[in-house]
Amino acid sequence: MTKKTGWLVWASFALPLVLLVLSLNLGSYHIPLKEVWATIFGGTSAAGGPSPYADILFRIRLPRLLLAMFAGAALSVSGASLQALFKNPLVFEFSLGISYGAAFGAALSLVFLGRGFVPQLAAFAFAVVAVVLVLVIAGKSASQIVPVLLSGVIVSALFQALLSLVEFFANPYALQALIFWLLGSLSQAVWGDLAVTLPIIGLGVAVLVLFRWRLNVLSLGDEEARALGVNVRREKALVIAVATLTTAAATSVTGVINWVGLIVPHLVRMMVGADNRKVIPLSAALGASLLIVADDFARSAASFEIPIGILTSVVGIPFFIVLLKRSGKTWL
Amino acid sequence: MKLEVRNLSFSYDGFRLAVDSLVFAGSRVTSIVGPNGAGKSTFLKCLASVLPSARHALSVDGKDLAGVRGKERARLVGYVPQEPAFTFNYTVLDFVLTGRAAFIGMFSSPSGHDVRLAEEALHYVGLNGQARRPFLELSSGERRLVLIARALVQESEILLLDEPTSFLDPRHEVETMGLCRRLAEDKAKTIIVTLHNLEMAVRYSDAMVFMKGGRVVASGPPRGVLTEALLRDVYDLDMRIVECQGQTFFVK
Amino acid sequence: MIRRLGFGAALVAAAALAAAPRVPSNPQDRPPFVITDNLGRRVEIPGRTGRIISLEPEITRLIVALGGGGRLVGMDFFLRYNDHLFPIIFPAGRGLPVVSNQGQDPNYELVLKLRPDVLFTSPSEYQATENIQRKLGVPVAALASIGKFENLLGEMETVGRILGREARARELSGYFKDRLAAARALLEKVPAGRRPKVYLSFYGSLLRTPVSYEPVDVAGGANCAAGLLPAYLGSAAATVSAEQIIRWDPEVILIQGNYLPVERAVTVESVLADARLASVRAVREKRVYYTFGFWYWWDPALVLLESLYLARLLHPGTSAGFDLEREGDAIFKEFYGVEGAFTALGRMLKCREWLRD
Repeated sequence: MTKKTGWLVWASFALPLVLLVLSLNLGSYHIPLKEVWATIFGGTSAAGGPSPYADILFRIRLPRLLLAMFAGAALSVSGASLQALFKNPLVFEFSLGISYGAAFGAALSLVFLGRGFVPQLAAFAFAVVAVVLVLVIAGKSASQIVPVLLSGVIVSALFQALLSLVEFFANPYALQALIFWLLGSLSQAVWGDLAVTLPIIGLGVAVLVLFRWRLNVLSLGDEEARALGVNVRREKALVIAVATLTTAAATSVTGVINWVGLIVPHLVRMMVGADNRKVIPLSAALGASLLIVADDFARSAASFEIPIGILTSVVGIPFFIVLLKRSGKTWL
Repeated sequence: MKLEVRNLSFSYDGFRLAVDSLVFAGSRVTSIVGPNGAGKSTFLKCLASVLPSARHALSVDGKDLAGVRGKERARLVGYVPQEPAFTFNYTVLDFVLTGRAAFIGMFSSPSGHDVRLAEEALHYVGLNGQARRPFLELSSGERRLVLIARALVQESEILLLDEPTSFLDPRHEVETMGLCRRLAEDKAKTIIVTLHNLEMAVRYSDAMVFMKGGRVVASGPPRGVLTEALLRDVYDLDMRIVECQGQTFFVK
Repeated sequence: MIRRLGFGAALVAAAALAAAPRVPSNPQDRPPFVITDNLGRRVEIPGRTGRIISLEPEITRLIVALGGGGRLVGMDFFLRYNDHLFPIIFPAGRGLPVVSNQGQDPNYELVLKLRPDVLFTSPSEYQATENIQRKLGVPVAALASIGKFENLLGEMETVGRILGREARARELSGYFKDRLAAARALLEKVPAGRRPKVYLSFYGSLLRTPVSYEPVDVAGGANCAAGLLPAYLGSAAATVSAEQIIRWDPEVILIQGNYLPVERAVTVESVLADARLASVRAVREKRVYYTFGFWYWWDPALVLLESLYLARLLHPGTSAGFDLEREGDAIFKEFYGVEGAFTALGRMLKCREWLRD
C-alpha cells in the first residue's frame, strides 16, 4: 500500500469514532457541551438522583449510535463480500432474499406471536431460510451468478408476497407497528437487544475482514479459483453464511435499511480501487460512518423521526452520483 | 516433472473426449494441435482438473492426481486460461498475487515474501513497471503475460496454457512462445500449450500431440511425427510441408 | 333536581324506544339532500336510507346508537373480527357480511349485491373515496372525528340526518354535552395553570402518540404532543423519540389500554421499569395509568366515560365517589340500551386495576 492510501485507511477508521463522539451531542434534548463531557467522565449528575443527562447519553444516544455503527458496518461488509463473490457489483444483501426473509419473519412474529416473542429470532430464522431456499432453487447451478441471482429474485418475491399476506390479516395496530418497522429505525435500540446483537455482528464483520484477501481469489470465478487451489464450494458457503447471519442480525433489530450494502462498497472502490484487502475494512468504516450521519438526520432534522431507510438513500445516492461523474475511470 | 495420462475420458453434449495413454515430459514444451472442435481446450481443462476426471487418469511422477487436495494440486499444476472470465479492476500486482492462494491461509493476507515473488514474476515475463496499472487497461498481449506471471507465482512445475497466442500480433506471439521455451529450458518446467498456429507449434515445441474428434491421432517430436498424410488426416486439407531457411512452413 | 329526574326519565324512555333493534325504521320519503363530509366533498344523500353499509367503525357505532342498527347490511373487517366492544353493544352484527378489510378496499361486487343506499368510509384518502363512489354508483360519505369532539358531535348530527333520526341525534349529543359540561364545571374549582402535562402512549408503542386527544383537554390536562404534525394526513399519530419524552417531562403518562391485556406491547409495568425514563416526573411519582384511547377512532359512549375517568385521574380531588363501572354501565345503557355493557368490557380489559387508590 502506498503512503497515501495508508493515511486514508487510518483516517477512515477514525471517522466513525469521531462521528460517534460528535453525534452524542445531537438530540432533541439539548445538553450543553460541557455537561456532555462532565456526564461522560463523571457519570451522574451533581444533584444526585436519576439524571436526565446520564439517561439520555448512556441509555438513549449511546446504544443508538453503537447500533448505527455496527449495523452500517454489517450491511456494507456483507454487500461488499457478496459483490466480490458473485462478481457482480449489483449484488447486495437484498439480492439473496435476506432483507425480505428477515422482514417476513419479524412480521410473522409481530402480528401473530405478539408481545411474547422477540421479532429478532424469527427475522433471523427466516433470513437463513431465504438464503437456503435461494441455494436450493439454484440447485446444481449454485456456483454460477445468473441462476443464483434469479433464485434471489424469486425468493424475494415469494417473501414479499407472504409479507403482504401477513399485512392483510394483521389487525390495524399490529399493522402500524409492522409498517413502521419495515421502514427501518434505530429508535428502539436498548441495551438488552444490543447485548446479543452487537457481538454477533462484530464476529461476522471480523470474519469477513479476515477473509478479505481470499475474496480477491474467489472473485476470479469458480473455475480459476479452483485451479488456483481453493476449495471453492466450502469457502463460498462460508462467505454466504457469514454475510447472511451478519445482515440478518442487524436487520432483525433495525428493520429493513436498504441501499447501504450496495452504495458503500461502490464508493469505497471508487476511492481506493477494487482490492478487497482495502475494500472490506474500509466498507465497514464508511458504512458505520454513513449510518451514524443518516441517523443523526433521522432524529434531529425534524420534530418527528424520519425513517432511516429513506435517509440512507437520500444521503448515499447523490454522493454516489457526484463521485461517479467526477471519476471518469471505471468503477468496477 | 512427468505428467502421465491414462484412460482419460470426458463427455458433454454428445461430444466425447478419450485419451488412452500419453506422457508429457519435464523440461519440455509440448503443444496440442488440431482443428476446431477437436477437444484441445477440453483436454487441457481436464489436465488442469478444472473439469473432473476419473481416478488414476492423471498422475504426476507416478502420484495419482485425483488423490491430491486442491492446494497441493495447485502447487503441481498451473492453468493459464485465454482470458480471465471476469475481473474487477484489480492492479496487475494484485492480480498476480491471487496466484499465491495455495500458499496463503484462508484468513491471511499476502506477506512481503509473496509480494516479492509476484514482482519477480512480472519482471521475468517482461512487465516490470506495470505492477500498479489497472489490469483492464492492459492490451491483450500484456494481459496474457500477466496470466503467465500468475501461474509462475504458483510455483507449479507443470504449466498448462490455453491458446496463449490467439489474438496476438506476431511480435507478441513470438514473445509469448519464447517465454514458454525459457520456462521449459531455464526453469525445467513441463509446458503444455494448445495452439492453432502450426508453424509456431513446430518452431517452439519439443513434442506435438495431434487431436481430432476427441482422440489423440499422433504424438511425438515434430520432425518425427509430421507428415503430409497426417496433416491431411487431421485437418481434412491438403498441405505441403516446406522447409525454408531452417524453418518449417505449411502451404495450404 | 326534579327537572333532572324528569329529563332523565324522558331520556331513558327515548333510549328504550330507540334501542329496539332489528326493526328497520321506515324513513319517510324525503327529497335528497346534500351533506359535506370530512374530505370537503359534497355528497347527495337519497331520501330513503333503508340499507346502509359503514366501513368506518366510529360511524357504525353511531348508527347503532342512533337506532339504525337494523338498517346495516354490511360490516367492515375490523368491527367483526378485531373489536371486542362491538359484539357487546350490537350482537346482531355477527350475522352481517364482511365487505372490506382495511376500510378503503371494499369487495365491490358484494357491495353491489347488497344494494346499499349510502356507504360510509374513513377519510384517510380522497382519491380512494372518490373511486369507490364512482365504481359503485352509491353515495359515499367519508367521516371520522380525528380526535375532536366537535367533529364527533357534528357526525352525530349528520348521521342522524341521514338516518332521518334527528331527534334521537339531538338527545344523544345533548346528553354528551351535558355530561361534559358537568365535568368541566367541577374542574373550574382547580386553579388556573395547574393543567398537568400528560404524555399519551398509543398504538402499541411507547414512542407513538396522538397529536390531538380531546378527552385529556376536557379532563383538565395538557397533551405534550399537541402541536406536532401527524405522521400522515387523516391520522392523529406522530412518532417521537425517548429524548423528547424526557424533554417534555410529563407529570402523567397514559397508556392505551383498549388492547386486551395479553396484546399490550406497552404496559404500566414496562414503562415504570424503563431505565431511559427514570428521570421523568411521571415515572418517579408512579403516575402511569391506562386509558382507553383510539380504537378506530371512538366509540361515543366509551369516550364520554373516558373523559370523566380522566378528569378523576388527573384531578383526584374534584370527583369523589366516582365509580367507573357504574358510570360506564349507565352511559352505555344511554347510548345503546344494553345492560352491563361496560362491566363486560371492563372485565376483558381488567379495568378494575386501573384506578388504584
